[in-house]
Amino acid sequence: MSERPETPALSPLRLTDVTFGFGRKETAAQSPVLKNLSLTIASGEVLGILGPNGSGKSTLLKILMRVLVPQQGKVEMFGQPHAAFSQAEISRHVAFVPQETQQAFPFTINEMVLMGRYPHHNRAWALGWEGAQDRAVAMQAMRDLDVSHLGTRLITNVSGGERQRAVIARALAQEPEILLLDEPTAFLDLHHQLDIARIIRRLNRERGLTVVLVSHDLNLASQYCDRLVLLREGEIVTMGSPEEVVAGESLERVYGCPVLLDQHPQTGKPRVTLPV
Amino acid sequence: MASVTSHSGKPHAGVTSAVPAPAFLSRAEPAASAEGFRPAQAVATLSPIKWIGVSGGLGALALVAFVACLGFGTETISFANVAVLLAQGPFAEGATRNVPHHIILWQVRVPRVLLAFMVGGSLAAVGASLQALLRNPLADPYVIGISSGAALGAAMAVLFGVGFSILSLSVLPFSAFLGALLALLIVYRIAVSYGSFSIHTLLLGGVVLNAIFSALILFLTSLADPYKASGMYAWLMGSLTGPDFQTVLVLAVYLLFGVAVLVSQASALNLLTLGEEAARSLGVEVERVKRVLFAAAALLTGSVVAFSGLIGFVGLIVPHAVRLVFGADHRLLLIASGIVGGIFLMLADTLARTLLSPAEIPVGVVTALVGGPLFLYLLIQQRRRIVS
Repeated sequence: MSERPETPALSPLRLTDVTFGFGRKETAAQSPVLKNLSLTIASGEVLGILGPNGSGKSTLLKILMRVLVPQQGKVEMFGQPHAAFSQAEISRHVAFVPQETQQAFPFTINEMVLMGRYPHHNRAWALGWEGAQDRAVAMQAMRDLDVSHLGTRLITNVSGGERQRAVIARALAQEPEILLLDEPTAFLDLHHQLDIARIIRRLNRERGLTVVLVSHDLNLASQYCDRLVLLREGEIVTMGSPEEVVAGESLERVYGCPVLLDQHPQTGKPRVTLPV
Repeated sequence: MASVTSHSGKPHAGVTSAVPAPAFLSRAEPAASAEGFRPAQAVATLSPIKWIGVSGGLGALALVAFVACLGFGTETISFANVAVLLAQGPFAEGATRNVPHHIILWQVRVPRVLLAFMVGGSLAAVGASLQALLRNPLADPYVIGISSGAALGAAMAVLFGVGFSILSLSVLPFSAFLGALLALLIVYRIAVSYGSFSIHTLLLGGVVLNAIFSALILFLTSLADPYKASGMYAWLMGSLTGPDFQTVLVLAVYLLFGVAVLVSQASALNLLTLGEEAARSLGVEVERVKRVLFAAAALLTGSVVAFSGLIGFVGLIVPHAVRLVFGADHRLLLIASGIVGGIFLMLADTLARTLLSPAEIPVGVVTALVGGPLFLYLLIQQRRRIVS
């Protein structure tokens, strides 16, 4: 790890009064995707971001990563404004797993995972060769995600679940303190959904990795997140424990449809079902 | 595709993909053992040694092809003789200097074959970079309209400015550079605005852009006097005819610089194949890298088109073949494509000047006849992959 933050008590990521819209300044101001949103992410938590389509979930994630820059408001990483960092510096602390990874070129899984070392490269020597340290970190990440046996396979030739695991391995190869996931299980079958969710929780519990995940799956989020944020039209409706957020009234208000609630038989966490 | 999978590194010990590695093997190792437990082989990708080996090997091959191509032409020169004449050098003293073969070799063939190598290499390197930038394995400066943008720029310079000399070093290459840059920006806009993976939209956009630029070029040509016009037609079809040494050297400076800039961005290009957002999230300063790549690609395409007209499909075929053999890593792909592209165009040009000797076929015709069908084949392959 290159530069550890000096005071770990600081919030790894904090948004203050953030307003963001796409397009030119005027149109962005007229129909913002996020409105005056403030959110403090606590170190070591698993935070779930919920909300209907178009509520600004993915946008929020991309702002945390400085893939998008808000027109108004402050984004801070470890107490310092985002603007104080280079893109590579941010990427050494925050890793992003997109919803889906499409790759038209025949990269191997090894090569894909090693791309996670890019922000750590010393590019004085322009081609950026990976060193022993880079390979060791990538290997560990591949073991963590159980893809080390796939190293020489092509990313274009593996299953969706394997590809998603490889992409998470790539994110871990960045050696981040914070992992952002955009619907990590959206295109996966049940088995792989469970697999990914368990891996994420294990990384959180064993390594203290802070996780922010966007999900459409209320039940998965309720099970695996310490804290949930419910968004509607770019504003936070409720925020709190799964018991507080996955509650009938606010869900019906936000999603605009009736829901049935009961409890997960193993954990007692709230569980959502749609009525017939 | 099966042959591709083994291109980098040795297979891992437990590659029987049906049987996943047992959990105790993959998990129970303490983190510290990662250093000692054959990590180097397990995550073996491109190493500097492989890079030097491959580029050196291909470079040697290029040298052989260069010497071979010098022998062929309307007047065949034996290889032994080529070797002797090369050893004499361009400024040989006295009698040797006036031997016809010495003149043919040093004043005609060496500049021409060198030009072919440089033009082919630049087009292939630009093709490989554009493919990564546009996330489209079928991108090629000719197919998507960058070359005709450059040609339009060059044609405007010829008509409105500098008097007809395709090889003049003044306004012409700069104007071609601007034309290429304009076309590149339009094409990039098309590629981006229709989402990340619209291979066919991009190609369609390129076709239309090509049509518009070609129409403008034809319009300009019709304004020119017949003598100029016939010269422009010959140039448009792609021709490596008649460069002198000075021209080749000046062009070499432009092209080496452009290719070096592309190669310096190779790591970033690897990440850009994931899309702009993913690349940014991995620490790439996307806007800066894009500006550098646009400028370098336009410089290369503009200079090449200004000197040798429209030569298509080199940037498509060559990176495709190189990727199949050496993998997708742009750190190797760009340099290998550059050398192989050079070899390819030296051979294509040798064909062009020997097949109907003493007449010449435009080299652009040769590359299009080889590359066009291959392009169609790849297009069908792409379609299958998307459907399946």
